[in-house]
Amino acid sequence: MSGLRSFVARRLLLGAAQIVAVVLLVFALTEALPGDAAVALAGDQPDPARVEAIRTAMELDRPAWERLADWAAGLLHGDLGTSLTSGRPVAGYLADGFGPTLLLAALTVVLLVPAGVGLGVLAARYEGRLVDRLISSVTLAVYAVPEFALGVLLVTVFALRLGWLPPTAVGHGADLLAHPGVLVLPVLVLLARPVCSLVRLVRAGMIDALASPYVAHALRCGVPGARVRRLHALPHALAPAVQQLARTVDWLLCGVVVVETLFVVPGLGTVLLGAVGERDVPVVQGLAVVFGVVTVVLNLGADVVAHRLAPRAGVVA
Amino acid sequence: MRARTGRFVLGVTVVAVPVVIALLGPVVAGEPPSRDGSFAGGGAFGFGTDFVGRDVWYQVLHGGRPVVLTALAATALAYLVALPLGLAAALTRRRLVEEALMRPLDVLLAVPSLLMILLAATVFAPGAVGLALLVAVVNVPDAARLVRAAATEIAARPAVEALRMQGETWWRIAVGHVGRAMLRTLAADAGTRLTGVLYLVATAAFLGVGVAPDAADWAVMVDRNRTGLFVQPWAVAVPALLIVALTTGSNLLFDAALEGRGRVGAPAGREKGRVRGR
Repeated sequence: MSGLRSFVARRLLLGAAQIVAVVLLVFALTEALPGDAAVALAGDQPDPARVEAIRTAMELDRPAWERLADWAAGLLHGDLGTSLTSGRPVAGYLADGFGPTLLLAALTVVLLVPAGVGLGVLAARYEGRLVDRLISSVTLAVYAVPEFALGVLLVTVFALRLGWLPPTAVGHGADLLAHPGVLVLPVLVLLARPVCSLVRLVRAGMIDALASPYVAHALRCGVPGARVRRLHALPHALAPAVQQLARTVDWLLCGVVVVETLFVVPGLGTVLLGAVGERDVPVVQGLAVVFGVVTVVLNLGADVVAHRLAPRAGVVA
Repeated sequence: MRARTGRFVLGVTVVAVPVVIALLGPVVAGEPPSRDGSFAGGGAFGFGTDFVGRDVWYQVLHGGRPVVLTALAATALAYLVALPLGLAAALTRRRLVEEALMRPLDVLLAVPSLLMILLAATVFAPGAVGLALLVAVVNVPDAARLVRAAATEIAARPAVEALRMQGETWWRIAVGHVGRAMLRTLAADAGTRLTGVLYLVATAAFLGVGVAPDAADWAVMVDRNRTGLFVQPWAVAVPALLIVALTTGSNLLFDAALEGRGRVGAPAGREKGRVRGR
């Protein structure tokens, strides 16, 4: 177990370094603004009063390291700063958009695991036959398609031509659970890419495991095939899949931003994109830190779980 | 083997349509047709007009080139940085140098790619060149890791030991032997990476990063013409279908080309290279 403990310690260290890096990178953003940051942020026709307001709001007169220290200390207390355009605290923006985004992400992950593992195992079970060929081709084809193109085509077919589902979430506010029909297309679009990659990984892992000597031995000893697949082969196939699940966070974030724009869902992605459009730096920074930290933590967790499942595979640490 | 050839042909067929339109479209498009009302019907192939009344078919002919060229440029740029970085890290005999080169990249891998692009877009308002640079930067950490992993394996071979003992220069060993021996691995990775880059370039353009709001660009067309989806679905469906064909086709093509080379699991993306054998 000392191997696991030292692995976890090294992985935690890397995770902490990554969080510090995310915070520094996000802070460096204002420093990277060309010329006078306040003038750059004020827009095309900088009006002196607005420039002055931004300068005061962002405390640009103080040295960078002082602002960094203040900002980082604020982050630790959950104070993410104040919006430049509305003067509201960034935490308020987060609270507004949190619900719909969490709902979308949670629904996607909940459906992703059984769908991905199930289809992967099914394809491996019937390797080379029609079912396998069908699953493999479809996952390969859909894998690389950007969410917006897929989403727009699904809307055209299912909302416009067939009229089965609403095309956007407009008019339902943040309470999406009350209108489950609204959620079908967004979740489907969000699922498309991660499911494909998960299916392919599980399938490859299962085929490997089913061809291994220990599975052959278990079968020779008379262990039923279903039991061998579930208890012996599957854990072996899951280790790479667990890591992929964490990598999915990256995709889910890309996906959430796109899907929320496409279906007009009032979540964090919409808030982020709106802030990017208005060059509202504190809001972008606050959201970026939250997204970055969530990604780091989930990756860390998945690496530890994957290490526990298959200690031989060297995982980054 | 037959299934593989079949998929190869399918991939080529699917990817040929958008690539031909992207490369030759601007040549054959000719003069822009006169403007009509927004989202009007008619026009070439009955595709009608877009949100400001321009001919959709004319915009489609022009809209592929930025997507394809930006993606190609970004992939090339990513390798331009990743190759020397990965080679240097693999071939140095000083552990400290290797750590100094690779550890910062480990840390960068933690930042989601689209987030990085959106962060930079807030500050710089990049153009097409800026977008290519950004997507390249996002791809450098993963590409450098792959180069390092491949080069480390080759550098441990007896041939390289022999070259070292003969006193060959670092340059000859790195470029002449290790670099050449890596070409197949790199070609495989370049294919899958290009698919991922296409995804990222198109998505960024859809979100308005690196493009003018009325640019002739398939992703921008999808975004801007969405308002008229009910009146004039062609203005959205045609560019969206072309993007789907481009990404799906290239993925099928590269997968078929790489099959039988011991690759398993999902192609492309940032997940690769995270697992490394020490």
